[in-house]
Amino acid sequence: MSLNNLIKNWTSFRSRRPYLDQYKNADYKWAMVIDLDACTGCNACTTACYAENNLPVVGKERYEKGHAMHWLRIERYWGEGESVPVDMVPDRGAQFLPMMCQQCEAAPCEVVCPVGATHHSADGLNTQVYNRCVGSRYCSANCPYKVRYFNWWQYADTAWPNPLELQLNPDVSVRSKGVMEKCTFCVQRLRESMDHAKTDGRLVRDGEVTTACAQACPTSAITFGNLANPQSQVAKKWKNQQIALEKDEQKKDENLRGYRIFEEFRTYPSVVYLERVRDLEA
Amino acid sequence: MNIKKIELFFFGILFSMLAQLGHAEAFHPGGAPGTQTIDGYNALGPKVEQPIEFPHYTHANVMKINCMYCHTYARRSAVSGIPRLDKCIGCHKMIPEVRDRPRIKKLFWYWDNHISIPWKKVHDLPDFVRFNHERHIQRFYFQDKRPVREVCGYCHGDVANMTTARRVKAISMGWCIDCHKKDHQISKVNLKTTNGPNDCWMCHK
Ligand code: SF4
Ligand code: SF4
Repeated sequence: MSLNNLIKNWTSFRSRRPYLDQYKNADYKWAMVIDLDACTGCNACTTACYAENNLPVVGKERYEKGHAMHWLRIERYWGEGESVPVDMVPDRGAQFLPMMCQQCEAAPCEVVCPVGATHHSADGLNTQVYNRCVGSRYCSANCPYKVRYFNWWQYADTAWPNPLELQLNPDVSVRSKGVMEKCTFCVQRLRESMDHAKTDGRLVRDGEVTTACAQACPTSAITFGNLANPQSQVAKKWKNQQIALEKDEQKKDENLRGYRIFEEFRTYPSVVYLERVRDLEA
Repeated sequence: MNIKKIELFFFGILFSMLAQLGHAEAFHPGGAPGTQTIDGYNALGPKVEQPIEFPHYTHANVMKINCMYCHTYARRSAVSGIPRLDKCIGCHKMIPEVRDRPRIKKLFWYWDNHISIPWKKVHDLPDFVRFNHERHIQRFYFQDKRPVREVCGYCHGDVANMTTARRVKAISMGWCIDCHKKDHQISKVNLKTTNGPNDCWMCHK
């Protein structure tokens, strides 16, 4: 798209909802619901993600430089203002929010990649082809959620000294220096179950496949599933919260807890968060 | 340098130039010029020295054993699997007339010493490639009912006529895509597409 074109069609470009109709008849659209009320900030999901996806532990020094490689991080917020006075519940003031790639339907990261290394798959994942990535980091700059991680060092050489390399997951590649990495909803698990389902001549059943983080969560705060299947847990929860994938402005009941982060950016994320309910009297 | 030598010299240059022209015409993705090509792809892989020179010819061609009798996992998982030693022994215990052949002796040596045979990989895909045997076998062998030697042969060549297997197909990305672009008939399980998937994340990881 030339610059002229872009400026001329800016309005239509901004209001474009590329995947609005894509999932009407689709078999799969992977999505997630994270209940912040259940999340205790225990980091089990993060650990599971490390183990599942061959993520290197970079160490304190590099972490301080911002070279961490966690595809899933637990963000911590402290209550502010009148609603949650910090001094009132000092030990319970923190609020946790697991943040991973939101698998945006109109992903800001995709349109800026100079080599098309990040692209949208038919089942609604924002995927990263590591071999194709040239490390421009433009995608990371454009991601409003800051969930893309750049491999600054050849971690593969140092992160798993012998015999630790035996713990690596053979279904996931060990990325080399100079590529952008990110969560893809544990796509290796999805692909495997989709393959088996296809062999049986059916679709993947609800609960047949889940992500590593959802599997590891001790409070089952994370629900993962196929949004295209109206009977799935995820689809039901989205519906109960009156959230629709293709809407950026949800008009819904005041009492409902569901929301998607930065919806107003029109990224159409696939992850719904359920707000935490606080009891300040207790 | 006498005339004859100079002539020879120029002949040599001319010859090598011609040879290079010939090479330039053929397309060699990922392969050194001069190696054998199939459909424009460099194909013949390196010769792999196996610990036991396993005669595929005898087993698959003469005995007509189904490939999947030994490579058990091909129909249900991503990898086809190297047969376990007890699979070899299970049959060969019952065949005393070949017991004294050197290769069979070696086989029993491994068995008696509780050492699994260190087979070497012949078809070694890069670590970032995800290939699934299950889908290919299910599609072409179980659904389309094509002969097993043909189905396995798409990628492995005519193994039934080889002794130790050797890579004879390119198994490169372009070569895979070539096949995935082809129109295969729609079947019971595969109703939507007639050809193989084209999405990066179907094969890459
Ligand atoms: S959350 Fe960031 S990385 Fe993930 S799809 Fe959206 S823009 Fe891309
Ligand atoms: S879905 Fe998989 S890759 Fe993504 S954060 Fe959870 S465990 Fe990590």
